[in-house]
Amino acid sequence: MPVVELNISRLQKLVGKNTNKKQILDRLPFLGLDIESLGRNTVRVEYSPNRPDYSTDFGIALGLQGILGINKGMLRLNVRNHGNYEIRVDSSTSKIRPFVTGIIARNGSLDDEAVKQIINMQEDLHVGLGRKRKKSSIGIHDLDNISFPLKYTTTSRDHRFVPLNSTKESSISEILRDSEVGRDYGSILGQSSKVPLITDAKGQTISFPPIINAALTTVTTKTKNLLVEVTGIDKQAAEDMLSVVVTILQGAGFQFSQLKVSGSKNSTPNFTPRSITFDVDPVNKILGLNISGSMLVSCLKKCRLDAVTKNKKIQCTIPRYRFDIFGGMDIVEEVALGYGIENLKPAWPASAHIGEKNTTSEKLDSISRLMTGFGFMEALNSTLASEQILYEMTNRDSSQIISVTSSKSQEHTILRDSILPGLLENLSKNIHETYPQKFFESGIVFSTGSPIKETVNLACVTASEETHFSEMKAVLQSLLRIGFNTKCETKTLSNHALFSQGRVAEIVISGKAVGYIGELDSKVLENFRIRTRVVGFEIKLSGLIFD
Amino acid sequence: MSHVLHDIEKQIINVLQSDPDLTEEKISQETKLSMDQIRRGVEWLRQKKLADVSESINISLSLGKNGLEALKNGLPERRLVTLVRDGPKTFDEIRRSLHGFDFNAAISNAKKNDWINIEKTDTGSKISLKDPDAIVPHDSELIISRLSERTIISTEFDNTPLAEPLKSLMERPDFIIADEEKTKTVSLSETGKKIDLEKLDSGAIDVEADVPHVHAARIHPLKDTINEIRDTFVHLGFTEITGNLSQSSFWNFDALFTPQDHPARELQDTFYLKGLNAKQLATPTQIKNVSSAHKKGWRYYWDIQEAKKMVLRTHTTCVTIKHLADKKPDEARIFSLGRVFRNEKLSFKHLAEFNQVEGIVVGKHITLRDLMGIQKEFYRKIGLTKVKFWPTFFPYTEPSLQSMVYNEKLGKWIELFGMGIFRPEVTKPLGITKPVLAWGGGIERIAMLKFGLDDVREFYNNNLSWLRTATKCQ
Repeated sequence: MPVVELNISRLQKLVGKNTNKKQILDRLPFLGLDIESLGRNTVRVEYSPNRPDYSTDFGIALGLQGILGINKGMLRLNVRNHGNYEIRVDSSTSKIRPFVTGIIARNGSLDDEAVKQIINMQEDLHVGLGRKRKKSSIGIHDLDNISFPLKYTTTSRDHRFVPLNSTKESSISEILRDSEVGRDYGSILGQSSKVPLITDAKGQTISFPPIINAALTTVTTKTKNLLVEVTGIDKQAAEDMLSVVVTILQGAGFQFSQLKVSGSKNSTPNFTPRSITFDVDPVNKILGLNISGSMLVSCLKKCRLDAVTKNKKIQCTIPRYRFDIFGGMDIVEEVALGYGIENLKPAWPASAHIGEKNTTSEKLDSISRLMTGFGFMEALNSTLASEQILYEMTNRDSSQIISVTSSKSQEHTILRDSILPGLLENLSKNIHETYPQKFFESGIVFSTGSPIKETVNLACVTASEETHFSEMKAVLQSLLRIGFNTKCETKTLSNHALFSQGRVAEIVISGKAVGYIGELDSKVLENFRIRTRVVGFEIKLSGLIFD
Repeated sequence: MSHVLHDIEKQIINVLQSDPDLTEEKISQETKLSMDQIRRGVEWLRQKKLADVSESINISLSLGKNGLEALKNGLPERRLVTLVRDGPKTFDEIRRSLHGFDFNAAISNAKKNDWINIEKTDTGSKISLKDPDAIVPHDSELIISRLSERTIISTEFDNTPLAEPLKSLMERPDFIIADEEKTKTVSLSETGKKIDLEKLDSGAIDVEADVPHVHAARIHPLKDTINEIRDTFVHLGFTEITGNLSQSSFWNFDALFTPQDHPARELQDTFYLKGLNAKQLATPTQIKNVSSAHKKGWRYYWDIQEAKKMVLRTHTTCVTIKHLADKKPDEARIFSLGRVFRNEKLSFKHLAEFNQVEGIVVGKHITLRDLMGIQKEFYRKIGLTKVKFWPTFFPYTEPSLQSMVYNEKLGKWIELFGMGIFRPEVTKPLGITKPVLAWGGGIERIAMLKFGLDDVREFYNNNLSWLRTATKCQ
């Protein structure tokens, strides 16, 4: 989950009404914000990826005001239609990044902390909603260096301008090749010879979406007026993103003027709230409560939504930036939050259900008890194992290998087709412990077959100076007899990668080969640096004692 | 005062009465008793104040797993130097012969010994030999070869030029095993000297004497916790269902309304099985309905090829949702427990493969408060009594809560199981009409609390010294 660092005294000021530190820290978890760490005047909280408004202290302050009862109901956005701000879309953008939207934010002031919070929001929106800028991305600019109308168009890769954080002109190709953002996000533009560009009335480059802004419009703590533009391949995602930015900037004290968007499937954004109408009963039923309609309305208002009772139904109005609300069940959650999760008392539902274990689990339990009775310690290893242990050190055939893509760990790259190699690794890690050492493990192994087959195997090993084949055969024989009243034969096998020649057999039950038993080959043991004799077996249980 | 003496004690006294101040080894030679018997006998005599023991500690050194490997094939840095003796090589070329930790160890030690140069070139970093003549057998190699001949007491190295290289070699994992050996010099106390062995009663044995530890074979401690949790679910009326560890993306993600461009579906979070696609995905209706739920909810082109990709399940929810979609029960309490996988960097708190349990309650009249109650009862049964709930977010449940449990040992609240009601966007397309309440989470976390571990990897190390001593009844 993403994390944001908050300055507590600043948050107190944003929430208002002399809210103290304790109230704030107590309430944060009840907004779904997990406190990750706490400093003297800072707190780091984890927030849900579906609530990008919580990526800033402005957004969190709105939530706290609601749940603390300081300011309830929906935050009304005030977007005025004046000033003649316009962006015209050239149809050439339709092939590469068809949509643009935006807003003019005026008369605000941004201190260092506010800039930090807004950058955090921008990063969050880019990664989450924007799917690493592919779906949609934001540019925030100093309005005072820009002449209107703007043009959203395309240009060739030779186009030159001075990018953000630079003093010299570069071409688009150079930016994509030489800058970090260029290398990280250039692939979004593919091989297209034309790339998106925003220019102003004087022909100055403002932005090269979704990669980088121009240095011309750099935002500093001196900036009072902003242009926010969002471009993307999904119109709704772009407007979702813009709605979060506008809400947060309103929290930061800005006033808004409309940015008209015209041309080629684009339109001026509107921030009209949605409404959902629902009955009180189902909400109570799901939560296990019996609260009145007016109480329910008050719960929703605490979550910064608007609600009224209308003909025994509730009409809930949802601001544009709460696009995480899909339908009725999301409203139920809002009611629960407004009611206070701590006020929901756990209940005990009567039930006539009789619980049962799965038979495979039960049988494996019995086997474990028998194996410990025979003196074997249970081991647990990963089913996603390493090529080295499974194949290289055991000299086994790796032609049917099943591997995963891009594992972050070399120890976990291959699905095991056998348990024994893991047990040898366990012995190898314990060579300094007293002998005899005996391990067993039961679990899933994998093999190829439309597209993959999972079976349950049992394997065990004994390591000691004195151990020998018959000792292990005696264990196998007794396990099958006591456990499942089954007899097995051990048939001479000419060779097997794991075992010594002449000391290995195939385990056969009712004419069917189900595994191997033998003394481990000295070369294999040497690979594992084991200096005692080792005997072991592995047997397939699926098809034998369960399906 | 009459003494009850074991035969071992009598033999030790006998030797010491004629020859005071002997080491335990010497007593063992004289009496022909094993060292183990001597140690026990001496300890008994000491407790009875019949003998005095003065101890000195020796650290004896022998080769560990990697030490033996180095003896055979050379230290990683030696192998590295051999590889670049005939000319510089790139990192990739070297990785062919030196894997994993060996590679890192080789580079860092060869650099420390000033054997190699690393140049950055356009085609990647290259390693070359710094001074071909300077490479004589390194002190650490001398140490390894001497240790291969015999076990050496560490003090033999004190104040020699090998002391420093020994220290750094011992810091490398599994190269050298250092066993502390106590040498004990035993002498009789005044009372002991006076004992007349001839006159002692020989029928009695010393029932108060210490005895050695024996090791019990046992169920793995993590398995104990898993079994306890499984039993608890059964007691609460839940029936176990199982499913494959390998699953199609359809059941692991799509059926749970996780959009195909969701970050959780990326290679860096999920293990995809190389080149494997599901043959049988689901019923045509299930596929059609899930596809349209995605198109409606997330507004994108839903690609069936993406849904066919096989993954190692990232949660047990894929098993429960398939069960619900196929059986469509009106009432049910079921649970699924087993291994799940995340493409994580391993650390003290993260594993790539771990155990998860998930319980599902289906019912017409079931409420969120009921689910909280079931969970509270579950925690009470496994010995966790202070529980509270906080809101949280899960992609496929709404509302979603997480439970916090107070841990007395740590003195703080710990996040345990999550819970929630399956979103209608998940249930409706699969024809599930009754509310589905789900709860569950990772099992290792609970086992760590029970066994007081602070590194989750310990469960899968199969370290006998821990398995033989971890307290069974937690």
